[in-house]
Amino acid sequence: MRYVLPQPWEELPHTADVGLAASGATPEEALARLVLGLGAMLAGGGGVGPAAAGRPAPGEAAAGGEARIDVAGGADLAQTAVTLLREVLFRFATGREIPVAVEVLSFAPGRATADVTFGRWDPERNAEGADVKAVTYHAARFEREGGGWRAQVILDT
Amino acid sequence: MKLHRIHDWLWEIPREGGMKVPGRVYSDGPPAPDDPALRQVANVAHLPGIVKWSLAMPDIHWGYGFPIGGVAAVDPERGAVSPGGVGYDINCGVRVITTRLDAGELRPRLRQAVARLFHDVPTGVGSSHAIPRLSEAELDAVLRKGARWAVGRGFAASGDDLAHCEEGGALAGADPEAVSARARQRGADQLGTLGSGNHFLELDRVAEVYDERVAAAFGLCAGEVAVQIHSGSRGLGYQVCDESLAELAPTMARYGPDYAALPDPQLACAPVASPAGRRYLGAMQAAANFAWANRQVMTGLAVRALGEALGRSQRDLGARLLYDVCHNVAKLESHVVDGVPRRLLVHRKGATRAFGPGDPRVPEAYREVGQPVLVPGDMGRCSYVLVGTARAMQETFGSSCHGAGRLLSRHQALKAARGRSIDRELAERGIEVLSRGRKTLGEEMSEAYKDVSRVVGVMAAAGISRLVARLEPMGVIKG
Repeated sequence: MRYVLPQPWEELPHTADVGLAASGATPEEALARLVLGLGAMLAGGGGVGPAAAGRPAPGEAAAGGEARIDVAGGADLAQTAVTLLREVLFRFATGREIPVAVEVLSFAPGRATADVTFGRWDPERNAEGADVKAVTYHAARFEREGGGWRAQVILDT
Repeated sequence: MKLHRIHDWLWEIPREGGMKVPGRVYSDGPPAPDDPALRQVANVAHLPGIVKWSLAMPDIHWGYGFPIGGVAAVDPERGAVSPGGVGYDINCGVRVITTRLDAGELRPRLRQAVARLFHDVPTGVGSSHAIPRLSEAELDAVLRKGARWAVGRGFAASGDDLAHCEEGGALAGADPEAVSARARQRGADQLGTLGSGNHFLELDRVAEVYDERVAAAFGLCAGEVAVQIHSGSRGLGYQVCDESLAELAPTMARYGPDYAALPDPQLACAPVASPAGRRYLGAMQAAANFAWANRQVMTGLAVRALGEALGRSQRDLGARLLYDVCHNVAKLESHVVDGVPRRLLVHRKGATRAFGPGDPRVPEAYREVGQPVLVPGDMGRCSYVLVGTARAMQETFGSSCHGAGRLLSRHQALKAARGRSIDRELAERGIEVLSRGRKTLGEEMSEAYKDVSRVVGVMAAAGISRLVARLEPMGVIKG
């Protein structure tokens, strides 16, 4: 199932950085919402523009569009979720891309695959976005809770 | 958490269970036993090869694996290196540049000076292109040469910048080939940029001198203007740490039961002497060199911008690098332990080197008095210059605190800032501030931080560092 921004997510308090949590009826739903929660943080409440059309200008990274992200790594669902989020964050760090829609195709300890649609970060529209620098393993959780699934990560800002 | 008082400023976490050494916490009053950072101090004490103590400075707070404010030295032959003991922002650090400019001269042109700095030094999310994007060969040179690369391209305060930089502005063991293509991609256009969050560039006034003799040796004069730059290795360092943790965490158990039994996965580590350990060290040192080059480029940009804003030549400005210190690094250093000289790998995560008088590693100009220890506070209060002591060499592997430490989460700070105009509040106190991010000033306001005066007070009372001067902000730029 494809999930599109906005989706429910929570910011968790942390003294030095920021926590991100999301829930879902299935692990795939919780993971999709976690990815889009990261997108919402990066967007800072502002809208996210469409993918840049055409070829990028010299020196400018291509941004936006669809991408299949396939990651391997992580001993459990929490660590695998961190691995996927790190890949999403890398695209933000290098291409200013923000995830706006996610379909998790597969998700198991050690492997995750998702089709992610990215939009483009805008310095004006997204001026209140968080400057997330890393997705950490610190306090990372991905577990059953209350009949569904709950996921959380701590982001280094 | 059991705590045993050593003296008014120092508590010990007794060794128990898998801890190889006790923990030692420098603190302003008894540490709160339920502080999760203390559990991290105890966890670090499980590190293979750790020597003497797992240390915590008085600005300790909860981090990843290691607490921020943590110091741990290991035997490099049999011990472990941990990326969590360095932190994500490899060689986040601070430098102070003194000038001969009087604060009274700056005051009428402060706004122009701050605006010019804000224009010339890229700040904020995605800040880039302070200088043209580096080619692969140029980036290799930066990763090898550190601050020297930048000085060679004319980015300097004066002729002795490298002599006044910890490690001369570069670690010799850097291995650019250990820095991945992805880390290079993140860093290649970020050299000379400030970043965001708690990074800053300040114009400070030397508000008070506590030790005239040491201040004179450092070139610090009450009433004069100093420039402070706090920044690190930007996206390149973050990516190096990310990749190292991803590599080391799943493979720890293969190094034996001491590694398998580590109580926190963010203490991911490898033997210093292993291929993975050497690879991390090589990449970390390269990232550290990138950070030194970063601060050096910004030094050149800032000194030029300040001079042009005030219509002063660089010679008239009299800018000179006082010192540059790392806050997040692991280095091979010689220390005397129980009377025996030993080579150790010292992890400092949110801690500052603070070598004492007479140490040959302190720049010649300061050797008689000791190494400058630079401790930034927050943008509304003050920062400090201290000096290292012989006692620091005996008790903390020559280490001291690094800053104020956060009191409020970013969320709590923004809530407290709601309805307020932080820049106007600062302006009413004579502090001009410009920031790129709309939330930055709320997140970074003074109330969000501990009082750095109390933090340095603990270090002074414990004899680990001595107060030299207090700096107060006049102008601030942030991301």
